[in-house]
Amino acid sequence: MLMEDTAEGDCLVVSLMEERLDAVIAASFKDALLERINQGQRHIVLDMAHVGFMDSSGLGAVVSILKHLGTKGWLHLYGVTPGVMAVLKLTRMDRVFKTFDSRQAALVS
Amino acid sequence: MHSQAHLRLMMPATLQDARAATESIVKLCDRFKTEDRALYGTAVMELLVNVVKHSYACAPGAVVTIHVISGPHSIQLIIEDTGKGMLPGRLANAPHELSFDATDVAGLPEAGMGIAIVKSVMDTLQYETECGINRLTATKRWTR
Repeated sequence: MLMEDTAEGDCLVVSLMEERLDAVIAASFKDALLERINQGQRHIVLDMAHVGFMDSSGLGAVVSILKHLGTKGWLHLYGVTPGVMAVLKLTRMDRVFKTFDSRQAALVS
Repeated sequence: MHSQAHLRLMMPATLQDARAATESIVKLCDRFKTEDRALYGTAVMELLVNVVKHSYACAPGAVVTIHVISGPHSIQLIIEDTGKGMLPGRLANAPHELSFDATDVAGLPEAGMGIAIVKSVMDTLQYETECGINRLTATKRWTR
C-alpha cells in the first residue's frame, strides 16, 4: 500500500496512492492512520484523488479513523472521485464526512 | 458485449483474486452509466469478499465459481461456493438502507454495510443452497 504524508502546520495531509480502497488494503490503511493518530496527529486531510473505487471495507476503515479521532480532532476528505462519492451517497455517509474540492480548502476549513 | 454472452470464472478465494475478478467483470459492463458502473463494481466486490471472508473464512485452496451472463437488457451474476454459506433469511432480512445518526460519530457503523450496498445496487437477488453448493444470483438491468 502506497501513502505519502505531508505536514502542513498542525495538519497532516495523507495522500493514498492507490486506485482501490477495498478489502485488500483496508486493514493496513486503517492501521497506518491509527498509528499516526496515536502518535499525536489530530487534524488529518485525506487526499483521495487517486482512489477511484471504494468498497464497504474501505469505507469502514475511513469511518474507524473518524471515530478514533472523535472530538479530539477532525478528518477532512479532498479529491473525492465520482466513484467514491457514489458509495458515500449510497450509504448516506456523505452526510458524515466533510469533503472539499481543494487541498487548501480542506486545510483551512 | 452487446449480444448474449456467458463468461465463467474460477476464482481462488482470496481478497486479491476477488479484486481481480471484480475488475474483469466490470470491464465487460459497457452498458451502465458511469456512476452505475462504479456502484455495480462495488456491489460485485462486496459479494465476492463476502464469500472469501465468511463462506470460506479465507481458507487456502478454496475456489469460487462465477458465471457472468450478459443479455440485451441486464447482466446476471451467479456466484457459487461450497463453503459455510449464509444463514437462511440473512439476505432477505437485511435492510436496503443503513440506519444511523450522521451527527453521532461514536455510533457510526464500521462493518456490515456490504449487504445494504448490494441490495441497493442489484435489481434482484436470490440465494439458495442445494447439494452443498451455495448459489447467489444477482441481476442488474443495464442503465444505458
